[in-house]
Amino acid sequence: MKVFIKFDFAQFCSKVLDEKLCELGIKYRMLNFGELEFLEPVSADQMKAFETVLNDYGIEKIENQKVILVQKIKDTIVDMVFNANESIAVKSSVYLADKLGHSYGYLSNLFSEVTYTSIENFIILQRIEYAKSLITNTDLSLTEIAFRLQYSSVAHLSTQFKNTTGITPTTFQRIIAKRRALKNNKD
Amino acid sequence: MQEDFTYVVLADDDEDDRLFFVEAFDELKIQTKVDVYKDGLELMDALNHPDAVLPNILFLDLNMPKKSGIECLIEIKSNKKFKDIAIAIYSTSASEEDIEDTFVQGANIYIKKPSDFNDLKKILSDVVTINWQYHTNALDKDNFLLRL
Amino acid sequence: MNLPLKFIARSERFLKIIFGASLFIVLVMGGVAYKYIKELSKSIDDVQHNYQVHIALERMASALKDAESGKRGFMISRDSTYLEPLLVSSSAFDNSLKDLEELTKNNPEQQKNIAELKIKVDKNIEIFQKTLELSTSNDFDSPEFIAAFREGRQTMNSVRFKINQMTAHENDVLSLAREISSKRLSNAPMLVYYVLILSLLILLLTYLQITKNLKILKEKNELLETFKKSTIQSEIISKHGNWIWHIEENIYEYSDNLYRLLGEEPQSFDPNLDNYLSFVHPDDVEKLMEHVEEMMENEDLPFIHYRIIQKNGAIKHFKAYAKLLVDSDGHKRLLGTTADITNEIENYRLIEKRNLELERSNKELSSFNYVASHDLQEPLRKIQTFLSRLEDKEKDKLSNSGKLYIERIKSSSSRMRSLIDDLLQFSRTNKSEEAFEESNLNILLETAKHDLAEIIGDKRARITSDSMPSMKVIPFQIKQLFLNLLSNSLKYSRENTPPAITITYSLTNASDLPKIKYSKFNTYHTITVQDNGIGFDQEYAEKIFILFNRLHNKNEYSGTGIGLSICKKIVDNHNGYITAVGDTNTGSTFTVYLPKT
Repeated sequence: MKVFIKFDFAQFCSKVLDEKLCELGIKYRMLNFGELEFLEPVSADQMKAFETVLNDYGIEKIENQKVILVQKIKDTIVDMVFNANESIAVKSSVYLADKLGHSYGYLSNLFSEVTYTSIENFIILQRIEYAKSLITNTDLSLTEIAFRLQYSSVAHLSTQFKNTTGITPTTFQRIIAKRRALKNNKD
Repeated sequence: MQEDFTYVVLADDDEDDRLFFVEAFDELKIQTKVDVYKDGLELMDALNHPDAVLPNILFLDLNMPKKSGIECLIEIKSNKKFKDIAIAIYSTSASEEDIEDTFVQGANIYIKKPSDFNDLKKILSDVVTINWQYHTNALDKDNFLLRL
Repeated sequence: MNLPLKFIARSERFLKIIFGASLFIVLVMGGVAYKYIKELSKSIDDVQHNYQVHIALERMASALKDAESGKRGFMISRDSTYLEPLLVSSSAFDNSLKDLEELTKNNPEQQKNIAELKIKVDKNIEIFQKTLELSTSNDFDSPEFIAAFREGRQTMNSVRFKINQMTAHENDVLSLAREISSKRLSNAPMLVYYVLILSLLILLLTYLQITKNLKILKEKNELLETFKKSTIQSEIISKHGNWIWHIEENIYEYSDNLYRLLGEEPQSFDPNLDNYLSFVHPDDVEKLMEHVEEMMENEDLPFIHYRIIQKNGAIKHFKAYAKLLVDSDGHKRLLGTTADITNEIENYRLIEKRNLELERSNKELSSFNYVASHDLQEPLRKIQTFLSRLEDKEKDKLSNSGKLYIERIKSSSSRMRSLIDDLLQFSRTNKSEEAFEESNLNILLETAKHDLAEIIGDKRARITSDSMPSMKVIPFQIKQLFLNLLSNSLKYSRENTPPAITITYSLTNASDLPKIKYSKFNTYHTITVQDNGIGFDQEYAEKIFILFNRLHNKNEYSGTGIGLSICKKIVDNHNGYITAVGDTNTGSTFTVYLPKT
């Protein structure tokens, strides 16, 4: 006798993953099919157990070098922007290539491929974020902030700030101040 | 890692605007789920439901019957449960006072409704991308202010 | 004006002092004169007294001589009649002695002399008697007689000597007294003369002072007269009246014009409270009485306001005020002013009414403008969005004329959009003091340039600018100003010539600006925006700032005619000025003057 069965591979896998991960006590979230996000830090032992258990079912962790490299690029940029005190004389492209041991062209392509934004955009975003945090958390004037972030002038910082966020640094400053006043009034 | 799937909600009393909104996301190649509500009251009822799945980004029209966008904004901001929702004001008005006021009240994004569909698509895609950047790069959400 | 009065007060005190001083001097002078006269009469008395003493002494001496000669005569002639003077002289002697005693009772030395004299005289008389007895018995040669006779002679001599001594002493006393009194009296005329001169001087000084005071008083009086006249005149012209309330006597005084303000003939009724109250509007009597009571209690009247009704029925608004005046004698008076403010109140009400109307119509206008442009945007935006949908999705299915229509609809709706946007911008360009903040103009210019980046790139425009200082402005409006001026220059550029826009900055003195003659600001920030565009005829330099005024056909250039009006409104909001200079086919220059605060 022949029986025809139809099985949903995805559902099957999800079920297996769910059971096994529960046993291991790992909290996770299913993103797209084939992508997991651990919601809590996972120890090396847990990771090893996770890999062995799932191997039995033919499920295997993909070591995605690209994603890891993109993360490295991001980390390097954040470090570069937020620790600009020891002023980095070289261009950011040279700096990244040196630090990560790949050509800038390769890094740039890879970054765009994975994140849908360019490295340049990401650097600007980070610089503006840093400017925002300086506006929010310090008493530095815009001139001082522009200097610290190695902008040629306040006008340059203002333009880039406006380009990125749609508002001027002065407006941003005012909004933050008003928000604080509002919060204080409520408390 | 690929794009996260983003849950987007719009509250707008204008039927045409709701249509544009949904169509724009349909045409965008971003993984999203879109829900729309006809007014502020309907929206708040849905959000306050105990089993409600909270959106990643909430788009609020300012001028709505029953409950205005700014009322919704204040209500949402006063409830800790909703602290992770990024709020985008989606309005016809572009008066500086309106914009600044909503930002002060806690909105993250201010969008002036564009008069070109392709502009709308571009704006919505930018919003999702930047929100995602904030999400994935652990940026300070309190500093998330964007005007499009 | 105060100074001479003060001077008079001072000189009055001075005069009082002088008067007191001269009174004192005259009294002293009288006293001194009296003393001299007294002394003079005393010295006359002294002389007389001396004379009397002399006489008495003389008489005594002569009586003694008579007795002596009588005795001798008797002894020679034995005629007893010779003895008569002897008897007389004896009593005369006693009398003289008594006189002397009386005369010299104040002179102890003379008293002593008199006592001695008396003894000597008595002894002399005794001896005299003895010799007389002896001579009667005719015993002239008896040693007793001779001894007695000699003794008689001796005592006689000693009496004479004593008398002489006394006379000499009296002469001494007299000459001493004379000397003293003559010495004293010789000073008297001199002293009197000096005092007289001094009195005359004082008199002269007083006279001068009084004339001076009189002159000042006269001037004051004239001034007062003028002042009074001008007060009366000003009362009439400025419609106010004065009144005085003498607090202690509770008497009122009303000026003529106060009567006129009430519609009455001057001084036609007694100035008192009851008469006055009969004019006051019944609704205000109570209020006014309260004020009057307070006034009587506090001796002060702050600004009060009430109405009166004239006999002809006209209602007038009065304002009154009074202040306490205490004069130099301590009399208290309340000086009051009452003014007829009917015209002011009517004008004020009229202005207030017009202001309200203006405010309302302004508000209506701007809210109409705002709502109209705002609400118009909504359907227009949808038309445009649906158009873009139609174009994207259905274009291929349309015929060529269909496509053309779509293009036409698109251009019309985009023109409508820019009109609405500009109108909205115009109606929003309002002045609000809070919006002013210290702003970096360079950044505002950069932002404006950034907004125009696309068109700047397309037209390959070159924009150069001076560095501008920070100033207190409404930032988004100044940015809009730059934006409008730049886009104006970009829009009206010459074909085939890349726009070159130069922005310069300088400071200008208000006096150098013909249009700004009576400015309250001294210096102006001067920003010029100069281009090499098509320019315009200088004839239109004023017109281009008027709303909806366009110099060009709208098919040639896309302007709405609002942009420069917005510029003007923005500059007006900043208390500044904007001017335009144009030259056809050479370019135009817009100059913005913002007050330096």
